Amino acid sequence: MAAQENRRLEFAVLASPAVLYVAVFCLAPLGLLLLYSFYRVDFVAIVPDLNLDNYARVLGSETYLKLIGKAMWHGLLVAFFTMVLAYPLSFFIAMRVKVLKAALLTALLIPLYTGDLVRIFAWRVVLGAEGILNAFLMWTGVTDEPIMALLFNTGASLLVLTYNYLPFMVLAIWIALEILDRQLLEAAADLGAGRYKTFRHVVFPLTLPGVLVGGLMVFALVVGDYLTPQLIGGSSGVTVISAIHDLFGSAFDWPLGGAIAWVLMAILVVFVALVATMTLKSRLGRALFRMN
Amino acid sequence: MERLLRGYVWALYGFVYLPVGVVVLFSFNDSDMIAFPLSGFTFKWYADVLSDGRLLGGLGTTFLVAFPVAAITTILGGLSALALTRYRSKFRALLGLVVILPFFVPRMILAVSEVTFLHEISFTKSLLTVCIGQSLVILPFTTIIIASVLYRLDPALEEAASDLGANSWKRFRYVQLPLMKFGLMAACFIAFVLSTAEYTVSFFTSGREQPLSILVASDFRFHLSPTLYALASLIVLFNIVVVVVSELLRRRGAAHA
Repeated sequence: MAAQENRRLEFAVLASPAVLYVAVFCLAPLGLLLLYSFYRVDFVAIVPDLNLDNYARVLGSETYLKLIGKAMWHGLLVAFFTMVLAYPLSFFIAMRVKVLKAALLTALLIPLYTGDLVRIFAWRVVLGAEGILNAFLMWTGVTDEPIMALLFNTGASLLVLTYNYLPFMVLAIWIALEILDRQLLEAAADLGAGRYKTFRHVVFPLTLPGVLVGGLMVFALVVGDYLTPQLIGGSSGVTVISAIHDLFGSAFDWPLGGAIAWVLMAILVVFVALVATMTLKSRLGRALFRMN
Repeated sequence: MERLLRGYVWALYGFVYLPVGVVVLFSFNDSDMIAFPLSGFTFKWYADVLSDGRLLGGLGTTFLVAFPVAAITTILGGLSALALTRYRSKFRALLGLVVILPFFVPRMILAVSEVTFLHEISFTKSLLTVCIGQSLVILPFTTIIIASVLYRLDPALEEAASDLGANSWKRFRYVQLPLMKFGLMAACFIAFVLSTAEYTVSFFTSGREQPLSILVASDFRFHLSPTLYALASLIVLFNIVVVVVSELLRRRGAAHA
């Protein structure tokens, strides 16, 4: 009994610094933002009289609702694109290579850790009117004048978002494939299932939790992305996130900005809860929270 | 089918590295403009970067932030990774959720809530607030990196230590710490890199002194120049070295199992 008490105390001692840190510097500020979202602005001052006007303004404004819808739509689109692109690569890394495995994974981590600024910059250099792709097309004679349409539109923004967040999806699916019980594949083969059937009925359903977790990460990152639409999307780059940015900057309406942020957070919480309930009971969920 | 898969994989890696590759290529090109054919080889854009006082000042600020951030997030991440992987507690899932939470909150929302928080407690923005904000967004990464090493360690070693009469401090000091050493080092390096690249939270929490990422972002919003290509190439080179070293360390740590 004493030993068990000890273990409990140790867990509390180890867990509390990080929990305290997140509570003070993340949960408290988010809570404060929620409180502010019920305040109102009077000229240049924030007045603390509680009301629901900001939420009425967000939910009654076609502009903000459209921006929130656009963020969701782009999040889902990019999650889908990254899944389609990532799955074969994750499959290759998990099932087809041994010696190269570490190298291939590290090669994916480099762009992931390099940060979006440099990656977005590189795409500006590639796609811009005076960029590399145009220079190349003019040099080879495909076109005489630079094609302006390569940059500063929604398509370019989605391309770069897909590029930016692809590694997260690859890693999530790769882990799900690595912990897949290989005996199931042999069993399927013994029972006469071909490659396609094995994939369709065994491999894909069992790795779906990985796809969902990867999809959730990509979705949340795309919904919250600020720099890519700003620097790649051009005039199409107005997002719900840039709206929040403006309300905390030049437009000075923190309460309204807080209300938009919390509407967005509420939607994200629903998505996280959905994916969590779908994956926690799976093999991936059990592996992540494995008991020792 | 197998050849198709192999071809696809190499094409995808091409897609991942092409944009960065061309930036590196043009950072050595002796011309202000991007045009083919290339004009000749030069180091002058690199010389420009290394003699630019404003950029070097920003770099100094970046390092001034990155060292404490790497230390804070490695310690907090190491402790919570131990709790997550070594204890059978009903609060474990909750702890995992709390530590991962900052990853799922959009950076901009985190940033503006920090601004609101600092305003409420009338705290002046400085490099200290940048450190606090960055540590929050980097904590999920260090926790997962260290936990990924700890997951693979054999619990029998710690049980053996306990059976031999080691108390929890001795078990930590002489068994767990040496075993997780490489994981901690890997996490520390990655935290450093992530700190140097962070933009959104840094932008909102910084005062007069601004790290390099903010200077670079405002530069390339307006114009692209070969000097910036050289700077981007240096950043990528630095990242490759740090990430490769940290992955080697992490794998070495996990291989101890």
